[in-house]
Amino acid sequence: MMLLEARSVTKLFGCLRAVDAVDLTLAAGEVVGLIGPNGAGKSTLVNLISGLERPTSGTLVFAGHPLQGEGPAARARQGIARTFQVPQSFGTMRVRQNVAVAALFRGQPAASVPLALREADEVLEFVGLTAKADAVAETLTTPDLRRLELAKALALRPRLLLLDEVMAGLTPAEVNGLIAVVRDVGARGVGVLVIEHVLRAVMGLCSRIVVLHHGQKIADGARAEVVANPAVIQAYLGVPYGAAA
Amino acid sequence: MAEPTAGTSLTRAAEGLIAIVLVLLLAFIPLVASTYLIRILTGIFLFVALASAWNLIGGYAGYADFGPTAFLGIGAYTTGILMTQAHMPFPLALAAGGLCAMGAAAGIGAVLLRLRGHYFAIASLGFMLVMEQVAANLEITGGGSGMNLPVARGFTPFYYWMLTLALAAIGTGALVPRLRAGYALGAIRGNQEAAQVVGVRPLPYKVLAYVGSALFFALAGGVYAYWFTFIDPPTVFDPDFGIQAIVMVLFGGAGTVLGPAGGAIVLKSLDILLTNTSGLLHNVFFGGLICVLVLFAPRGLVELLRAGRRHLPDRRRLQRSGAG
Amino acid sequence: MGIGTQIVLQDAVNGLLLGGVYAAVAVGFSLVWGVLNVVNLAHGALVMLGAYATYWFAASGHLDPLATLPVVGYALFLFGYGLQRFVINRVIGTSFLVTFLLTFGLQLLITNLALAWWTADVRSVTTAYSGWALTVGAVVVPAVRLVGAGAAVLMAAALAAIMRWTQFGMAVQATALDREAARLMGIPVARIYARTFALAAATAGMAGGLISLSFPIFPAMGTGYTLVAFVVCVLGGLGSVAGAVVGGFLLGLAQTFASAWVGPNYNNIVAFSALILMLVVRPAGLFGRAGHFRG
Repeated sequence: MMLLEARSVTKLFGCLRAVDAVDLTLAAGEVVGLIGPNGAGKSTLVNLISGLERPTSGTLVFAGHPLQGEGPAARARQGIARTFQVPQSFGTMRVRQNVAVAALFRGQPAASVPLALREADEVLEFVGLTAKADAVAETLTTPDLRRLELAKALALRPRLLLLDEVMAGLTPAEVNGLIAVVRDVGARGVGVLVIEHVLRAVMGLCSRIVVLHHGQKIADGARAEVVANPAVIQAYLGVPYGAAA
Repeated sequence: MAEPTAGTSLTRAAEGLIAIVLVLLLAFIPLVASTYLIRILTGIFLFVALASAWNLIGGYAGYADFGPTAFLGIGAYTTGILMTQAHMPFPLALAAGGLCAMGAAAGIGAVLLRLRGHYFAIASLGFMLVMEQVAANLEITGGGSGMNLPVARGFTPFYYWMLTLALAAIGTGALVPRLRAGYALGAIRGNQEAAQVVGVRPLPYKVLAYVGSALFFALAGGVYAYWFTFIDPPTVFDPDFGIQAIVMVLFGGAGTVLGPAGGAIVLKSLDILLTNTSGLLHNVFFGGLICVLVLFAPRGLVELLRAGRRHLPDRRRLQRSGAG
Repeated sequence: MGIGTQIVLQDAVNGLLLGGVYAAVAVGFSLVWGVLNVVNLAHGALVMLGAYATYWFAASGHLDPLATLPVVGYALFLFGYGLQRFVINRVIGTSFLVTFLLTFGLQLLITNLALAWWTADVRSVTTAYSGWALTVGAVVVPAVRLVGAGAAVLMAAALAAIMRWTQFGMAVQATALDREAARLMGIPVARIYARTFALAAATAGMAGGLISLSFPIFPAMGTGYTLVAFVVCVLGGLGSVAGAVVGGFLLGLAQTFASAWVGPNYNNIVAFSALILMLVVRPAGLFGRAGHFRG
């Protein structure tokens, strides 16, 4: 059974087809890259899966159960975690407390606040943010905020992890560190969808890559195969529109 | 909301000791102080309670409630009606007033708290105006001509009632950030979508904060009604109660535990000294204060002092991370 | 025509006349909200200032309220320009709570300074035609209310024309759509904001002048009109003159009929219920398009 299945998912904003009849599958433990030029519909797809937006048509199936009326909180409790492209911390709370929120509100929540805080410390160590555990979140730098995003998502103990550009703006060394973290997460049986602009990160991390362009899926397959795909090359190099579709 | 998660046990003990000494001192004051001073302090406690209560919804949840006085009025009228019509003893009538306000807050909050910032703020103000008009139109409230409560024997009990309320409100404010609900509220205040994607359902927690805030406003209203023995719609639905509470919270620091109480003590004292209880001067004072605060210290004086010590924070970012 | 029909007709006329005044109050509020994204809680206080200015012209100079309307409007224009340029502009683009509180503080200041200077006495303006009334069939139309509502609609139409056909109006619409893009196009955004606010203040002042014809004047009158403006904007939808006018008529009708059928003291209850109903059922209003101002 697939962990996530998107069947012909479409999202219209007015007459703009942000996501256009996309089919997608993801198995537990699989780390899949989702790439595409700006405005390709990657973030919209993540919003649809995490429940912040409703698809105009098509269905999403998570672990065998169709996702219909559930809001984002219910989906989080079922094990769908995500990060935001623009990090969204709980600014007035400390870093440790930010992470503890996720531990307190997931499907099988931590039994008490102190336990959640202890668990938060473990997650912070895992993502390399222990030094900032007592900092108030709004004082963090952007790379640290991205780590915090990841920590919050991991504290949910997700079955599916949607990473929306967590590596943007990091140094190569930091990217390598995060690649190791995500690989580790996948090895524990979590399905991971990695949305990245940083191609190097995707190439290093994902054996399978999906490419979106103008809301449509134009490629889905093994890394080498996708990189050699002429449609993908055209989409990235900006060859005139008609030719790419 | 940023509660220190690890304070040394020594400072904890010292803080506890100071708090106990302070409370004991306050409890003994009526034995030695003049009636005038007791009245002044009772008035200050009233606003400590209101500001700490408003902080629950306005500070912790980040939802600007502009009509909390609605619940003060509900508490005052429920207490008054039960004491005069049902001849209930004051404590029972007061408790009933608190319950009524909680019920009303749960009902109206479940609708209003779905609205976004501006809309919630105005709608809550509208709710207060509606309650005032309801009170003015009903027969049981005495309508526009108001109602008289039994006259209490002695003033000192009110001092203790208000002191208890103020302490309870501060205590609730201190407790909430340590609770599961406090974590939910901190997340909601930070960013509602981000809170949802880690499993927090916003509405129940917002309603909870609103109900908690309503409870203290109602209890304060009930005590106020018995204290002043006469209530009518313009007095107990006076938006001024809520506005003062808001300004005190902003002055002291929204979302902090002691900030609202500090704001209430400083501003109420200034208010009494400067305006000599002239309603007109009082309003000019608060109006001017709001403008100055908003323009120069949008996050309260505490934040300003702290920022001065560290580095000057980016104003824009601070303001954006406020409510809404 | 039965007596019932007559009463309904009379109520409808009264409601429309009241609605005209509401529309005049709301157009400026809607303009500021739509363009500056500021919910101006001091709007009612500006209405109050306009009413007092008109009152003093009438009381001390025996000048007709309609004749002094342009002067009142211009005075409020200047006041509004200064208010925006030197106070409100400092918090443009920050969180709504900041602008909300600032304008609330301004309202408190203006109202209570007015209370200090003019006392809490309720005043009214009496004109030569104050007692006159038109009688159409069985429906009685007081002259002052007809004049007030008529002038209000004319004022709204003039504002719509300014927004639609002048260069200034185009610049305002562009700024409302996208502040940054407008700035890049060479539109002086700060000046546009100040003029927009000034124009809104002028309409508020003139609305106050029209209100003084048939309603009581007192320093605290503003709060009620701010609430009215807000409800009207929610009903009609934010950001259009037409929406404000239609919303004004709707609220005027709703309050008049409610006062006739339920009782005279339910105006806030009616307004608030309409507000909640609208926010829950159709948040964009009847004609609304968010963040945009149309003529």
